[in-house]
Amino acid sequence: MNRTVPVLGSIAGLLVLLAVGAFSGGYQIYIANLLLVFIVLSLGLHVVIGEAGQFALAHAAFYGIGIYVAALTTNAWGLPFPLPILAAGLVAGLIGIGLGAVALRMRDIYLALATFAFGEAMQWVFSTWTGVTGGPNGLHISPTRVFGITILNDTAAYPLMAALTVLMVVIAVLLSRSRAGRSFRAVRESEVAAVAMGVPVRRTKIAAFAISAAFAGVAGGMFSIFSTYINPDSLGFQTTITVLTMVVVGGLGSIFGAVSGAILFGLASEFLRQAPSYQEIIYGGILMFFMMFAPRGFFSGIADRLEASRRG
Amino acid sequence: MSLDVVILFLEQGIVSGLVIGSIYALLALALVIIFKTSEVPNFAQGEFYMAGAYVALFLVVFENIPTVLALPVTLVVCFLGAALFQKFVLTRVWKAKGSPINLVIATLGLSYLLKGLVRNTGFGDSPRTFPSLVSTDSITIGQASLTYLDATIFCTAVAVMIALFLLFNFTQLGRALRALGMNPKAAQLVGINLSRMNMVVWGLSGAISAAAAILVAPKLLVSADMGHVVIMAFAAAIVGGFASLPGAVVGGFVIGIAENLVGLFVSSQAIAVAPFLAILIVLLIRPQGLLGGRVALKKV
Repeated sequence: MNRTVPVLGSIAGLLVLLAVGAFSGGYQIYIANLLLVFIVLSLGLHVVIGEAGQFALAHAAFYGIGIYVAALTTNAWGLPFPLPILAAGLVAGLIGIGLGAVALRMRDIYLALATFAFGEAMQWVFSTWTGVTGGPNGLHISPTRVFGITILNDTAAYPLMAALTVLMVVIAVLLSRSRAGRSFRAVRESEVAAVAMGVPVRRTKIAAFAISAAFAGVAGGMFSIFSTYINPDSLGFQTTITVLTMVVVGGLGSIFGAVSGAILFGLASEFLRQAPSYQEIIYGGILMFFMMFAPRGFFSGIADRLEASRRG
Repeated sequence: MSLDVVILFLEQGIVSGLVIGSIYALLALALVIIFKTSEVPNFAQGEFYMAGAYVALFLVVFENIPTVLALPVTLVVCFLGAALFQKFVLTRVWKAKGSPINLVIATLGLSYLLKGLVRNTGFGDSPRTFPSLVSTDSITIGQASLTYLDATIFCTAVAVMIALFLLFNFTQLGRALRALGMNPKAAQLVGINLSRMNMVVWGLSGAISAAAAILVAPKLLVSADMGHVVIMAFAAAIVGGFASLPGAVVGGFVIGIAENLVGLFVSSQAIAVAPFLAILIVLLIRPQGLLGGRVALKKV
């Protein structure tokens, strides 16, 4: 892809961020905050599936870990921003290293199944460990404090959320362009070739898991900034599938795709919230449709067309 | 806990475990025959099973079609549904980008699509009961008690397994399917029609799932979310090595008995997490499964 699309995309993205902050309120700003969380979640899944090609299905678990770590550190010790988010990213990342070390032994479907099992087991922990997580009753999250200011509503949280999202997008772009990003893609394309080129495959895979988990943890920390309540029901496989759909629709393997997929699909799923049955039909239909006709995603497809017409 | 209670719990746990385990074993077989030929873990397996229960429910309860006719029709419908999914969706996905991950995502898509469709038909809004064809009076074996229905489930499931065993070992079709699992290219060279065999495998898998659903439906409520039970089948298949038919059967019984013993001796809450722990532990310690001969690891 040439440079025009990402550059124009970033400028448009920043303008949209500012416009949303300036012109919307109430419910819209709540949705905007939620979309920002989904963007960071998608970036995380993009790193492990899109870049490194490891089919991990435990994203919701790391997101949940991030939410609970941030909420508990805020509730118990009243830690000010950014400490709860850093803690959320760090703890999720460390557990990601653990899962990555285990996952080294598996490939493809075994990896998918093991991470799926890990995700389900974590959801069970969230809803059973009542002493810490509040169990099925959920957990109240105290307001976050930033430099002495207490964030009480969505509008106050938005600038912080937007800044964090931009930061995470920049980190994802830098990562993708770094030596680590190239190692991820080398491992994805061929482990044998990657080894031959001197890429440490084991370390690279663990790093992909850890970074992906840390992104999800940060997303969880971001959620705790504007939300006052968390319930383990929303941290199951359905959430992993939602994020996976976002990444697939946007285009596996592209940051631009992950971000735009999150926005497009996040909006769609918010509109469909009233009709869970249609939501399932549409999610399922979209996943199948894209796998059949546009495996590289909606936006990559458009970018390819642009590229082709320019050359043509 | 006194010794008598322990023995009673053991007997009851094993008997109930064999009954429910036979259902897990059928579903695990349905997963494994697909995996052996297409290398795809079918995440829509649970929804094949759920759809089978709903087709049977629709025919028997809403259309009042006699059971003798309705049950074979259900099996045929599920066979065709699964086979057509393979032919029209998965073949196309494989052509679009030949990556197993894309196939898995497509099956995930199908599972959500089927759940949503069933919820939308108007039958799936609330859990429904399925009439039992055999008496639910109880019988006692040793100290353990179970119903005639339980006994029927177990015997029928074992009969289906024996039929599958015969099919795979003693028929032309079974040999073709096994050849496909061992080496697709070589199979094609000796004149086996790959695309038809793939359809047959998916169809068989759909029909087996439907059979499991019909058997167990009177014991549970039929609901759009009943496909969750497939996680037990995944656990069973993994315990058995994921590529071995006898392994899947043994895995099913192991998981069924373990589930019941955990419920009786530990707590009913622990049942919910037991299959996931079983999957994680088996994959960690013996990724090739307890019975799997072929090592699933590929060292770089």
